[in-house]
Amino acid sequence: MDRRTVIKGLTAAGTLAATGKLAAPAVAQGAKVLKFVPQANLANFDPIWGTQYVVRNASQLVWDTLYGLDSKLQPKRQMVESEEVSADGLTWTFKLRDGLKFHDGEKVLAKDAVASIGRWTNRDSMGLMLKAIQKELTAVDDRTIKWVLSKPYPKITYALAKVGTPCCFIMPERLAKTDPFKQIDEYIGSGPMRFVRADWKPGALAAFEKFKDYVPRNEPGEWWSGGKVMHVDRIEWVIMPDPATASAALQNGEVDWWETPIPDLVPVLKRNRNIKVDIADPLGNIGAFRLNHMHPPFNNVKARRAVQVALSQEDYMRAVVGSDDKLWKPIPSFFTPGTPLYSEDGGEPLKGKRDYDLAKKLLAEAGYSGLAVTCLVAQDQAPLKAMGEITADLLKKIGMTVDFVATDWGTVGQRRASKNPPGQGGWGMFHTWHAGADCVNPASHIAVRASGDKAWFGWPDSPEVEKEVAAWYDAKSLDEEKTTIARLNKAAMEHVVFIPTGFYFGYQAWRANVEGIGNGPLPWFWGVKKT
Amino acid sequence: MLGYIVRRVLATIPVMAIVALFVFSLLYIAPGDPAVVIAGDQASLEDIERIRTGLGLDRPFVVRFAEWSLQVLSGDLGKSMFTGLPVTELIGQRIEPTLSLMMVTLVLAVLVAVPIGVLAAWRAGGWLDRGFMALAVAGFSVPVFVVGYLLAYVFALQLDWLPVQGYTPLAKGLWPWLENLILPAIALGFVYIALIARITRATMLEVLSQDYIRTARAKGLGEGAILFVHALKNAAVPIVTVIGIGVALLIGGAVVTESVFAIPGLGRLTIDAIVRRDYPVIQGIVLMFSFVYVLVNLVVDLIYTALDPRIRY
Repeated sequence: MDRRTVIKGLTAAGTLAATGKLAAPAVAQGAKVLKFVPQANLANFDPIWGTQYVVRNASQLVWDTLYGLDSKLQPKRQMVESEEVSADGLTWTFKLRDGLKFHDGEKVLAKDAVASIGRWTNRDSMGLMLKAIQKELTAVDDRTIKWVLSKPYPKITYALAKVGTPCCFIMPERLAKTDPFKQIDEYIGSGPMRFVRADWKPGALAAFEKFKDYVPRNEPGEWWSGGKVMHVDRIEWVIMPDPATASAALQNGEVDWWETPIPDLVPVLKRNRNIKVDIADPLGNIGAFRLNHMHPPFNNVKARRAVQVALSQEDYMRAVVGSDDKLWKPIPSFFTPGTPLYSEDGGEPLKGKRDYDLAKKLLAEAGYSGLAVTCLVAQDQAPLKAMGEITADLLKKIGMTVDFVATDWGTVGQRRASKNPPGQGGWGMFHTWHAGADCVNPASHIAVRASGDKAWFGWPDSPEVEKEVAAWYDAKSLDEEKTTIARLNKAAMEHVVFIPTGFYFGYQAWRANVEGIGNGPLPWFWGVKKT
Repeated sequence: MLGYIVRRVLATIPVMAIVALFVFSLLYIAPGDPAVVIAGDQASLEDIERIRTGLGLDRPFVVRFAEWSLQVLSGDLGKSMFTGLPVTELIGQRIEPTLSLMMVTLVLAVLVAVPIGVLAAWRAGGWLDRGFMALAVAGFSVPVFVVGYLLAYVFALQLDWLPVQGYTPLAKGLWPWLENLILPAIALGFVYIALIARITRATMLEVLSQDYIRTARAKGLGEGAILFVHALKNAAVPIVTVIGIGVALLIGGAVVTESVFAIPGLGRLTIDAIVRRDYPVIQGIVLMFSFVYVLVNLVVDLIYTALDPRIRY
């Protein structure tokens, strides 16, 4: 019997004497409740309206998808029983599995899927492409969806399966008809867990309970595909903003699974025999040095290349992840290492010894006049703060003047949208990172796009890059896709759309009595058991 | 007395109006955009603009302030931009942990600090006095989160006497409720204890040098009765003042303490709202805390009349 139990017992006896009421037992349901510390606060719960990863991660418990990706990033049927595509590739017919139910007891019907797809296509990049070529999206009967396009879209099942946000979650029609720019106010899905609205304290706790009428697929679960079999009755998301507290809580057994332990605390966790630590997501993250192509100095490609040839990914990655070499690797590419489309074509400027002399020469050729580079550095995001400090040093080393704006991520988010010159509320560069799952191909990889005004912040403009993106969408085989991605990578490197600062992993940690925790771009709760 | 109370309550109205205008204006000019946070990293500028319009953030300052003011006057603090939940509901969810933490801290601080201050004054210049005052200096100097981490490490992780984090509602039992509050209350109360102890010592020293105390000793009263019945009562007014002012310290300290101990209180709600730029929540909480603080000061003023019969309003 441990000390806390003794103290509890003595005090309970005292309390009983004093109040006539015993303290409530805290361990009666311990075996069936999984306590999880997520990466961030679950402040809202609409995965179409709010595209944060944490919302997606929670949504996957409550809402199901028509298709789901497996560990090879291939779309596999989930709610769909079968699909047919016409010979001309223009008409897709999907048939839903039988027996699917929503948490309110209603059957999942094709019209629900149609409405959900409709809401999703208004917000997602692939969805918007599909909407642009859509001629008809209808429910033929209760289980059959018909989608007629004006031109073939071979990646339609990938679009419906991808983990990049927003994902195509299937909701009841009445919820899916909500304006995609407004939040839903009910959280009814057909996923393996139902959301316990009454227990939700945004910023503190979110709870999910097993949905007894969920019918998992027969195949074994694999990432977002296969059977989603739940072995716990209840999952509690305990929001802990302080990593030291989360670490202590995990060590003390007050929580079971911590999604994102910071590198500094991992050695402590590894020394604890009751805790297991492993890489969370094999698709990792790509750090980014985002430049503003609209204004000097980085409106000149030679100035961008100057930074590119001087930048040391090792410096950045050591600042972000520390001395653990298992956690990072250099990446002369915009795409995720270890994935089918990964290419290093054109990545030579990021390889080998860094060349400050060449950088200074390129800056001189670009006509750099000493204009300060406004660096927006979010101090409340540890990786970005670390990268920002390396950048300030790097830019000074190659002879640039730095205007270091230390602020919070919210302000960076606002200011990076400004197209004004840096001296008038604009910016020269900022750091961010991209989940590796979003960088496996151009579909979710908004950062590699170079469509000028319509591109992501920084507004790179390269018709060559955009040509290869279009070619990828039209590619009919994996080999063809690989060829276009190789050309795309080269073109994006030459244009310096942005500069990857390295590829890195994060850890996850869990109690040794929890089994079945795998790795992936999201925390998968199916198959997880607590003994 | 009743007239005084009514006048004080009425006086809160202009105070609250000024606070409302101040906080609304501050948020309006502060950098950051909730629409950007809501839209997420992948969103286009058009998406962000649509969200901003949907939230009414594109309207002029005067229109937004007028609308919000009218809402507040009708008891509606608006809805969170992120959760869509009424601000009153969010506050209602989080108020118990914060009140519990503040109350336990206050009781602990007063029960510990006042006797320390009294004893330190009684033995002024001696080792007891010096020791207590050294502790008081430590209390001022060590940040709340450092104390919190140390307490959690020693009493939770190493000794396993208490939990590291969390909050259990009182309805689930007295001990579970208290168990989660002991370490946070000590961490939060450290600086409060230091402050009250020093003020108590200072005012007690002044009182103990008065003639009537010498008279009491000459009459044969015991030291206990002299210190805690006669002297403390006369020293109480400044002590109560500091306790009242210290409530503001508690409110501010609760923010850090709730983060360190993962207590789902108003402090954390405030921080989350600020980071996200959830304007209605920030405005609602600041208004509420301002009102509470004004009330606390009123209660302190009323307590004066109980402690010192010469004070009448």
